[in-house]
Amino acid sequence: MLTKRSERQARRGSLAAAVDSQAAGGFDRRTFLRRSGLVAGGLAALGALPLSSVRKAEAAGPAVAGATIRKNICTHCSVGCTLIAEVSNGVWVGQEPGWDSPINRGSHCAKGAATRELVHGDRRLRYPMKLVNGQWTRISWDVAINEIGDKMMEIRAKSGADSVYHLGSAKFTNEGAFLFRKFAAFWGTNSVDHQARICHSTTVAGVANTWGYGAQTNSYTDIRNSKTILFIGSNAAEAHPVSLQHILEGKESNRANMIVMDPRMTRTAAHATEYVRIRSGTDIPVIWGMLHHIFKNGWEDKQFIEQRVYGMDDIRKEVAKWTPEEVERVTGVPGAQLEKVAKMFATQKPSTLIWCMGSTQHTVGTANVRAFCIALLATGNVGGPGMGANIFRGHTNVQGATDLGVDIATLPLYYGLVEGAWRHWSRVWEVDYNWFADRFDKTTAADGKVTSTMNTPGIPSTRWFDATLLDKKDVRQKDNVKAMFVMGHGGNTVTRVPQAQKGVEKLELLVVCDPHPTTWASMAPGRKNGTYLLPIATSYETNGSRTASNRALQWGEQIVKPIFESKDDLEVMYLLAKKLGFADQMFKNIKVENNLPVPEDILREINRGGFSTGYCGQSPERLKSHMANQKDFDMRTQRAASGPNKGDYYGLPWPCWGTPEFKHPGTPLLYNTNLSIKEGGGTFRPRFGLEREETLPDGTKRKVSLLGNGYYSKDSEIKDGYPEFTLGVLKKLGWDKDLTEAELAIINKINPTTPDSVSWAIDLSGGIQRVAIEHGCTPYGNGKARANAFGLPDPIPVHREPIYTPRPDLVAKYPTLPNAVQFRVPNIGFDVQKAAVEKGIAKQFPLILTSGRLVEYEGGGEETRSNKWLAELQQDMFVEINPADAAERGIKDGAWVWVTGAENNSKAKMKALVTERVGKGVTWSPFHFGGWFEGVDQRANYPKGTDPIVLGESVNSLTTYGFDPVTGMHEPKATLCQVRAA
Amino acid sequence: MARMKFLCDADRCIECNACVTACKNEHEVPWGINRRRVVTINDGKPGERSVSMACMHCTDAPCAAVCPVDCFYTTADAVVLHSKDLCIGCGYCFYACPFGAPQYPKVGNFGSRGKMDKCTFCAGGPEADGSKEEYEKYGANRLAEGKLPLCAEMCSTKSLLAGDGDVIAQIYKERVSRRGYGSGAWGWQTAYRETIAT
Amino acid sequence: MLGVLAKFMMQVRFIAGALALAFTIAIAAPATAQQPTTVNPTASAVQERQLLQELNRIQGRVTIPDKKADLLEQPAGRDWRQWHQVTLRWIGAIAILGMLALLVVFYLARGQVKLEKGLSGRKIVRFNAVERFVHWLTATCFLVLAVSGLNVTFGKALLLPLIGPSAFSTWSELAKYSHNFLSFPFTIGVILIFLMWIGSNIPNRTDVEWVKRGGGIIGKDHPPAGHFNAGQKMIYWIVVLGGGASAVTGYLLLFPFYGTEISGMQLAQIVHSVVAVLFIAAMLGHIYIGTIGMEGAFEAMGEGTVDVNWAKEHHPLWLDDELNRTKETQAQAAARPAE
Repeated sequence: MLTKRSERQARRGSLAAAVDSQAAGGFDRRTFLRRSGLVAGGLAALGALPLSSVRKAEAAGPAVAGATIRKNICTHCSVGCTLIAEVSNGVWVGQEPGWDSPINRGSHCAKGAATRELVHGDRRLRYPMKLVNGQWTRISWDVAINEIGDKMMEIRAKSGADSVYHLGSAKFTNEGAFLFRKFAAFWGTNSVDHQARICHSTTVAGVANTWGYGAQTNSYTDIRNSKTILFIGSNAAEAHPVSLQHILEGKESNRANMIVMDPRMTRTAAHATEYVRIRSGTDIPVIWGMLHHIFKNGWEDKQFIEQRVYGMDDIRKEVAKWTPEEVERVTGVPGAQLEKVAKMFATQKPSTLIWCMGSTQHTVGTANVRAFCIALLATGNVGGPGMGANIFRGHTNVQGATDLGVDIATLPLYYGLVEGAWRHWSRVWEVDYNWFADRFDKTTAADGKVTSTMNTPGIPSTRWFDATLLDKKDVRQKDNVKAMFVMGHGGNTVTRVPQAQKGVEKLELLVVCDPHPTTWASMAPGRKNGTYLLPIATSYETNGSRTASNRALQWGEQIVKPIFESKDDLEVMYLLAKKLGFADQMFKNIKVENNLPVPEDILREINRGGFSTGYCGQSPERLKSHMANQKDFDMRTQRAASGPNKGDYYGLPWPCWGTPEFKHPGTPLLYNTNLSIKEGGGTFRPRFGLEREETLPDGTKRKVSLLGNGYYSKDSEIKDGYPEFTLGVLKKLGWDKDLTEAELAIINKINPTTPDSVSWAIDLSGGIQRVAIEHGCTPYGNGKARANAFGLPDPIPVHREPIYTPRPDLVAKYPTLPNAVQFRVPNIGFDVQKAAVEKGIAKQFPLILTSGRLVEYEGGGEETRSNKWLAELQQDMFVEINPADAAERGIKDGAWVWVTGAENNSKAKMKALVTERVGKGVTWSPFHFGGWFEGVDQRANYPKGTDPIVLGESVNSLTTYGFDPVTGMHEPKATLCQVRAA
Repeated sequence: MARMKFLCDADRCIECNACVTACKNEHEVPWGINRRRVVTINDGKPGERSVSMACMHCTDAPCAAVCPVDCFYTTADAVVLHSKDLCIGCGYCFYACPFGAPQYPKVGNFGSRGKMDKCTFCAGGPEADGSKEEYEKYGANRLAEGKLPLCAEMCSTKSLLAGDGDVIAQIYKERVSRRGYGSGAWGWQTAYRETIAT
Repeated sequence: MLGVLAKFMMQVRFIAGALALAFTIAIAAPATAQQPTTVNPTASAVQERQLLQELNRIQGRVTIPDKKADLLEQPAGRDWRQWHQVTLRWIGAIAILGMLALLVVFYLARGQVKLEKGLSGRKIVRFNAVERFVHWLTATCFLVLAVSGLNVTFGKALLLPLIGPSAFSTWSELAKYSHNFLSFPFTIGVILIFLMWIGSNIPNRTDVEWVKRGGGIIGKDHPPAGHFNAGQKMIYWIVVLGGGASAVTGYLLLFPFYGTEISGMQLAQIVHSVVAVLFIAAMLGHIYIGTIGMEGAFEAMGEGTVDVNWAKEHHPLWLDDELNRTKETQAQAAARPAE
């Protein structure tokens, strides 16, 4: 493969020469023409025969000379592949490999290579539409904004601000995500969520609770350095295909071990050196089974644990219970295989652990993630090249949207919902704190105590329809959810679709802002009025930054102007804010041109307030310079060796400390103590206090430090653990003298009464960060990671059977958590599990149903199923079933089957794919389909011409109850079903 | 002189289908015509391998030999191309092709074949390089622009290699010796009467 | 024919291979139900060379609905090419040129077979209008099919250099369409011929004698024959069986992948082309004997009547039957009471 630019240019010369020469052994075009007599015309008398197979080119044409080149980021996953678009006369005419990208080096997957189709828009929504008595009717943007705004105000007046649910998107740019969170804040609700809820919310919670930040610690390219690569619940070959370039090259050059643990022999497993088939939902026993061997054989990293981990002894106690016999009984994995894997993982280092939705989408999602982190900590595999938690996120910007707080429990950049957090953003936004406080609903408890929903997490996207359908008294807010305001989020991506359909029918207002009508438009045939579809530009029709899974930001430029009547997300938010009366406040520091807020200004606002997560250094100018000079960055180190960004890591992966002027290079690997902070190093973040009181078995109490123990990052002037930096801490160290007067002035302005309490995270001058880093210290402190995450429902992860388990015999020993009210709604998982066991559901529905990705489609799939090149490759919804199970049921490969689910009398018709990918007793379906319900095609429900090319049953029609207590994550990866021939 | 070949390193191929959609997108190939496809052998079993396959541009190409109207020609780069003006859609090349490369649009009556379509190694056809006529009949001519086939250029894992046979054979050889395994240069023995010694 | 045989053996091998594969899977199935203690997918990767050695083809799974695309490699295409480019050309050339040479030699040696007693001037109906229509329908189609078919195998070598590629393609395309469309009336013709003349074409004792005497070539006199002599019966069966076989195999090729796959189509093409060239050779003989080869023969199909003397010499038994039947009819008519 001639991938280097210089070689390609050289090739041009030789090829042209080759074609021109009349060498022996081949004809050139002219010789051929002369020989064939085609030039002179043929036997014309016979006329043209009707062999009209020569097709007419449609959208494209031959490469146009002088086409403009525009760079954007592929929208289909979090790897962050650069797209090179050729634009001619406002039309995207061609796509070329982006060789200079240090992330994808020209490569794409099926989606990326076909993505140009997205903006040709055969099936796009063309203009705003409204459902009038069951008929889709075209309306103008003005009418749409006015009617929607009026209805929102009506619902607000009647039921409160929390009755309007804000469902955002992982396809927003960072600027869009930030603005959406800001919009919800200005509207006055925390019920603002996006796809991260249903993909990696448990990862964020689990990882952040372990060592500080809830993100991928290393990067796709860094996996090249690993010696052992362990996948669990990740099918990266289909979900993140370009990442396999780095993984397989790493596997090859290091002769690395590649272990895949999955209920399904996936395309990723095909390239593994060890495949471990596990039962869905038994991740914790598998990991504990590994740790059992590790502790037993002393393979753990004792020094690492001693210096950098809190509570590992508590883990040892739990792990001791998981003997190889018990592990095999619960998970199906033989002890010998697990011992082999454990040994590789612990001794052939550096080892990395890669996980995805196969592990996160469970009632024990957070606990699963915690177990993975603990395995990494126990073996000392965090904080260096080739190590770490390589969490592969889903969409282009799901990392960014999570960071920027499109989330029910945080404000942008993980500031939380406490008063201090609100005050911080009030300062950044220059809006009075009390003004915000007035925007939120107040509830009065029985004892007369008034609470504002300002400080309570909102309702997760997995439960919005419960908040609609449940009795008003069971929803802990002023009223039920009455309106869904959806920007860029499918309707079929959450479990229990039959319930969601009822929810959709009950809504007073449904607004769907999307390039496509999405399943929201088709999933409630009973709905006749009050639905609005607003056409939105795709990522390729907008400017802005995106954060890839490796925390690197890339600036994508608009390839073409929004097509048809589509509008940019930012513009819609501005128009609606204007209608709702808070645009002046909300856009105080953001320039608006022709109703379009300027994304650069929004990013600067993010920079001004983004200190907690190090979103403060990535100015639009720096990001644009990185995109323009991609060739300067080395793929292996991600660092620019020359050029204007010399020394920077590509995309300034957060945390990129201080102000842009501080020129922090970004942090390619989190918690890497081998580098000084100024060069991208870091330490574990002490977020959970400085010490903890423990009760010993004899009843005596002792205090244990949670700070790093004799361990520190390179060049640190403090040679031990230390707390986070405040002005007070600086003063104690005598480092406050290093602050400039201007910085000090800002700090004093933030808290005039007790300026010493102003921390690195809320210091808008960036001075505290700067000074700490100049002294080699991490602004957030130097702490221990927590093996024992006190405060979580299961501080030590314990195995809990899925709600619908094929092993009811294990429920007594490993039950799910008791019922509780979480995120304003009740979680009755315990009752549901108990009832399922008592009713013998596992006998009626003997097959495990789990779901996953296809490489051709993304998410709910409406966008990709509308893309003709992708749709051709997967034309039917299917269920994978083992040959033995299929034979028992008389099912042939490719035949139609009915799959029935354990709840709601659900049933779905799809094709059978008889394969040994799944083991006996297991079925698997992709989750990208929608537009069929109970065997009936719902195509007619879409506005004419906007129906996706391929429709099919949603697997979530069959998936069932079950929520993670920490994040409200649903459980589509372990439920039960029955399959019979149709 | 460059002798153009394809090589799919099956130990890298993950069936991501980027090659397929890159081809479709670059040449606007209609539904039902699959110039390139990915086939998975031993699906779901340990040992499973996927291979991306299109016209291999064979040495002494069987399609060209059996064509009743002699519509094939081999370029100086050893790319096997054909003329849709001459093709009569008889299907003989499909019988002879060891790789299932020739594709036929269904035209009119009883599923009979229209003019054959196949991978051009992104080298167009007999019409003038880069002309509209060439694009409509055969798709883009990247080779004339000094670019290689887009399927290989966009391959997610650099599994599919396209270019001078000696160069890609060398790359494959080095890979196999570095990693210590290789399931073979799929199709080479059949297409080029040679294998890559590893 | 060796090619066909080789091909056939290859088919057998395919089937045997497929069975072997099915068998391995059957054995393997129970093993997978129980998890082996260690699975290394990389180490157990399928090897191309091994697959080709086992089955000489590699088949897998594809996601697109076009399931024929799941055949990754079929090196047999190369063998088919050898057959088509070399073997078939030899067979065709030998059969057709051989037959032509034979006829020329025969003509030179024997000249036209004359009626010994000359024309009687009395005519007898040999083929009625329906019979002649069916014959000529089939014959016309056959000629077009033969020429267009031969064009596919020999046109490139013989015609293309003369008229150039463009004209040749236009002609070949026309030929292809004619071949495809005329296959239908041809098939109908063959079926009608089969039904229409089956009664007179069952081999019987007379034919043994006829064959023994080489249809008159050996010896001086004509061996006796009924409506159809053994030679004509042979032509009949060649038409019925050869026509049938080429129709069946032709339709398999005309409707690709309906009930066949690539190896089946290769086999169909082999059968089709072998039958066709032999058919053509046989028909050359038929045409010769029906035209310049024999005095008075063409009228039978041309006008429908033959001279009684011709009938006497060539089909005496048939003539007797006809005459007897006429007498019976007349007798019956005579026996009818006068009004």
